[in-house]
Amino acid sequence: MTELIDQLSHFAQTIVQGKEPKTQITNCYANYSQNTAIEVYRNNYRGNLHDALAGAYPVIKLLVGDDFFRMLALKFIEHNPSRSANLHHYGAELPDFVASFEPAQALAYLSDTATLEWACHCAYFANDAPLFNLAQLAQFAPDQHPYLVFDLHPATRIVRSLYPISAIWLAHHPDAEVDFQIDLNSGSCIALVCRRFNKVEVINLSEPEAYWLHQILTETPLGGSTMTTLEHYPDFNLQTTLVKLVEMNVITGVKLGA
Amino acid sequence: MEKNQILSVAISGLLALGLAGTANAADNKPEMEKCFGIAKAGMNDCSGSKSSHSCAGQASKNNDPMDFVAVPKGTCNKIANGSLTDGGGVVKKAM
Repeated sequence: MTELIDQLSHFAQTIVQGKEPKTQITNCYANYSQNTAIEVYRNNYRGNLHDALAGAYPVIKLLVGDDFFRMLALKFIEHNPSRSANLHHYGAELPDFVASFEPAQALAYLSDTATLEWACHCAYFANDAPLFNLAQLAQFAPDQHPYLVFDLHPATRIVRSLYPISAIWLAHHPDAEVDFQIDLNSGSCIALVCRRFNKVEVINLSEPEAYWLHQILTETPLGGSTMTTLEHYPDFNLQTTLVKLVEMNVITGVKLGA
Repeated sequence: MEKNQILSVAISGLLALGLAGTANAADNKPEMEKCFGIAKAGMNDCSGSKSSHSCAGQASKNNDPMDFVAVPKGTCNKIANGSLTDGGGVVKKAM
């Protein structure tokens, strides 16, 4: 058993890191030398992971161009072997990798944009949730309202950045205008990733909305969440926030908390 | 406003909008949710004619990607003030 593990580990190192094979690898194609066969295998391995990254990070690919993206991807693949049998799980560490990737240092917003893209990628594959039924909310009496706890759609993600990453993401949306004008100095943003009618959407949240939603995410009851938010942000408008989050399919259910 | 009143006003506001049929996602016909495991277009496609081209664009030799000068050439050029110097200061670029 140990021998098999050792052999598989050597084979993996040969493929992933390009090391010389330590043991003879049986090659069933007589026309190929062992080295050629390994190169073909390695390039398929890299090609598949590159394509998985390109599928998860289409905006990053457009931002930096195909050649740069390919180089970035190959460097990433070298240091990050696939750890799941599901290729959709591959690439979670790319935002951190981008942040430390020397050739991308000039593009300060790239790592945060990648974080947003990964959130969108995860949102796409997140579990389904039932649509919110307002009748469910209507059944509670006013004195029960402070104790209500909202269920949020599993696709919901919040990404903060010093840069206008939602505008960057939206500018690269297939339906977006080809010519966009974004000034990186236009300020920070809080991007809310959500999914409604099978489409991942990105909208901006205000600071009070994000503060409130963070508490709702941790299942703090409505009364406590709202009061704490109002203490910090007296301008917080609960009604518009509720309407927005129901419309965006972020709130999917409500129950009476313990 | 009293604490409970804030909540109740907001909730009745939401319900009123919902009853008017303008703000309730549930009022829209639920579209078919995607089948679990279906890939995004062009992604994770390991079957059919595409798989034989999975290494398209990958040279058959192991090429060092650092061999060519690494300069991003995509839409990042369109983002104003998008390039930082090594010192971290924002470089003003002509649009």
